[in-house]
Formats: sequence, structure tokens, C-alpha cells
Amino acid sequence: MTRHEQGSAASVALMLIAGGFIFLFAPTDALQGPVQRIFYLHVSAAIAAYGCFAVVLIGGVVYLWKENAAADRLARAAALVGLVFTTVTLVMGMIWAKPIWGTFWTWDARLTSTLVLWIIYAGYLMVRRLAEPGRQSARFAAVVGIFGFIDVPVVHFSVTWWRTQHPGPVVLNDALPPRMLVAFLITMACTLVLAAVMIAIRYRIEFLTDQAAEKVVAPIVAQTRAGDAR
Amino acid sequence: MRSITIALAVARKDLASEWRTREIVPALAQFVVLALVIANFGFQFDSRNAPAIAPGVLWMALVFAGLVAFGRAFAAEREQASLEAMLMTPAMPAAIFAGKALAAGLLLVICEAVLLPALALFFAVPLTFDEVSAVLLATVGMAVLGCLFAAMVAQVRARELLLPLLTLPLWIPFVVVGGQAVQSAMGGGGTATGSANGLLLDLDILFVVLTSLAARFVLDD
Repeated sequence: MTRHEQGSAASVALMLIAGGFIFLFAPTDALQGPVQRIFYLHVSAAIAAYGCFAVVLIGGVVYLWKENAAADRLARAAALVGLVFTTVTLVMGMIWAKPIWGTFWTWDARLTSTLVLWIIYAGYLMVRRLAEPGRQSARFAAVVGIFGFIDVPVVHFSVTWWRTQHPGPVVLNDALPPRMLVAFLITMACTLVLAAVMIAIRYRIEFLTDQAAEKVVAPIVAQTRAGDAR
Repeated sequence: MRSITIALAVARKDLASEWRTREIVPALAQFVVLALVIANFGFQFDSRNAPAIAPGVLWMALVFAGLVAFGRAFAAEREQASLEAMLMTPAMPAAIFAGKALAAGLLLVICEAVLLPALALFFAVPLTFDEVSAVLLATVGMAVLGCLFAAMVAQVRARELLLPLLTLPLWIPFVVVGGQAVQSAMGGGGTATGSANGLLLDLDILFVVLTSLAARFVLDD
């Protein structure tokens, strides 16, 4: 087993353990019933997405500062994983909202800003695809990643800045019973490990893609140079 | 000081070329009036729902007119390959960027000078100082952000597709705050215009600083 396979196996096992805590350990919510169990993964996925986008931000800043290809690859990997976790957050939230609010979607500040977050990082990946590979795509994406991160605090504080329908921060406000809190913290830790493993795998893919591209491009460049010299 | 002179020279060049060709402004003016016509049919407008609908129509028209204006600002440079020539001079990329943003922003202001009276005329809503100030303040931030991404997409494939995808999400704060200000100015409720204008000014300062820092990485290749 390679390092990445070990990591994947470990994160799958951790997610199963988290599932055990969510379904067997945590008590059923008195008002919402079993639907409330969505909360554990929904909030954990959102936090993992914030973390991924923070990596995109840092990778972008380091790239613009030092022109470090590894920082750019890390940002690339984290953007994709962050987008996946934002999708999970949105979809799980909608599944929860249907029985609780009676509708899948409402133009609430938190929902809207999260949707905007998704669009921003989808745009980030579009820039990567459409710009010239290499320096241009890395630079442009870094700029988009830095500007896009402005939306992360907006999403986070939207529930306190505006009067929203979305529930406020229950974890930080100490509003969870102890068993729910334990289940949440374990799910969050497992989700963060999963996100880190996904970024590591994606980083490896990006690294191999870059290497393959260099292998193809380098001889052509050398040939053209030789032709120019003649 | 030198940077300001350069920025003004670039802006003057862009405005002079627009004055000679008269390409963007007449097209945009027609576009915003057309947007009002389409909105009239789309919303089943009458005198009662005007204060609720008109602000939305205003921002929709403004946002899409802005996309066209800022996209053109750099597309023209690309067609002539004149941006490279400008960047070869010792001028700071941030100064060139500021000049382009200033000119494109002014073109959008001219387009607003058509849009706002037309909106007041056709939708029978008041044209107030509060509304104009909110729109003008939003234009500053929209211009710098729009021009930053326009400069970026001018250098990539499928630029017409990418510009709205990158720009619109970051314009949302201006539409949210400006939208509320215009709504209250038109008598449709919402927050007080004074605090909204303060917030718009804060956003303008934030994005002017951020875009001038980022301009170097987008332009200088």
C-alpha cells in the first residue's frame, strides 16, 4: 500500500467511526427528530471548506510572493476539495431545510453567501482551465483565490450580521448537550482528516500532471531552441 | 505623483479614443434603455409595484452594462496589442491599471446619466440625490474590480464567458448595499442611505487598495 492508499483507508475508517457517533452515540433531537443528525456532517463540511479555502489563500499569497510551484499546486488541490465540501454543505443543508423549513432553498444571507462562495471557487477552477498553463494560470488563479476568500468571513458572520433564518452558531455558544458536542467534535476531526487526505491525493495528481506536461513540453522547447540557434 | 500623471494620461487616452470612435457609450445607452423595456414586460409593471421593482431593474441594467464596458476596456487594447507596448514603458502597472479603471468607470457614469433619468421617467420613481450618490459610490468599487478581472480575462481563452463568472460574485456586496440604499431612496423601505453610503465608501477603499496591489500580478507578464 502506498502512503496515499493508507491515508484513504484511514480516513474512510475515521468517517465510519464518525457515522457511528452520529447515529448511535448522539441522542435524537427532541424537536427535529432524526433529521437533526445532518447537522454534524453539514457543519463539519463547512468548516473543512473554510480550511481548504484558507489553504488556497495562503498558497496564492506564497505563490505571488515567491513564485513557488508547490504553493500553487497546493492551492489548486485545496480549491477542488473545498468546492467538494461546499457542495456537501449546500446539499446536506437543503436536505435538512426541506422538512424543517418546508423548502429546500430560501434567499437567506448564509445560504446565499455560501452559494456565492461555491460560484467563486468554481470560477477559480475555470480560470485555471482557461488561462495559459504555468505562470499565467498560477498568477491569475492566485489573485482570484485571494479576492474570493473575502466571502469566507461573510459566510461565517452572516448569521450575526443579518437576521437570518439559518440557525446561529450553536457550538461556540455552548448550546449543545454534551453527547451531541462529543459527536460533533469527533465528526469534525474526522472530516478535517478526510479533507487533508483528499488534498494530499489531489496534490500528488497535480504534481504528476505537471511532471508529465514538463516531460512532453521540455523536448519540444529544446528542439525549437536548437532550431532557432541554427 | 508620477503615477497619478501616468494614470491620468492613460485615462485621457482611453476617453479620447472613445470620443473619436463613439463605440461604447451609444451602445451602452441603448442597452440600458432596452433593459428597461424588457423589464417592463418581464415584471408586469404598474404604478404600485414601481418602488419595489425599479431598484432591481436599475442594478440589473447597471451590472450588465458594467460588464460590457469593462470587458471592452481591455478587449480593445488586446486587439491592437497596445497593452504590451504600454507595459514596456517604465510606468508602474498599477498606474496604468488605475488609468484604465478611471476611464472605464467614467464611461459607466455617462451610461448612468442615461439610465437613472430614464428609470425615473419610465418607471415614475423619484430621482434623488441619495440614489445618485449610492450609484456613484458603487461605481468606483465596481470599476476597479471589473477592470482587474477584465485585464485578466483579456489574456485568456473564452474571455466573454469568464468575465461575468469572476466579476459578478465580487460585485454582490455593492449590489446588496447599493440596492438597499436605492430602495430606501425610492421610498420602498430598507436601511438609511447615510449608513449605506458609508459602507459603500469602506468597500470602495478596500477594493481600490486590493486591486492596486493585485494589478501588478495581472498585468505584468
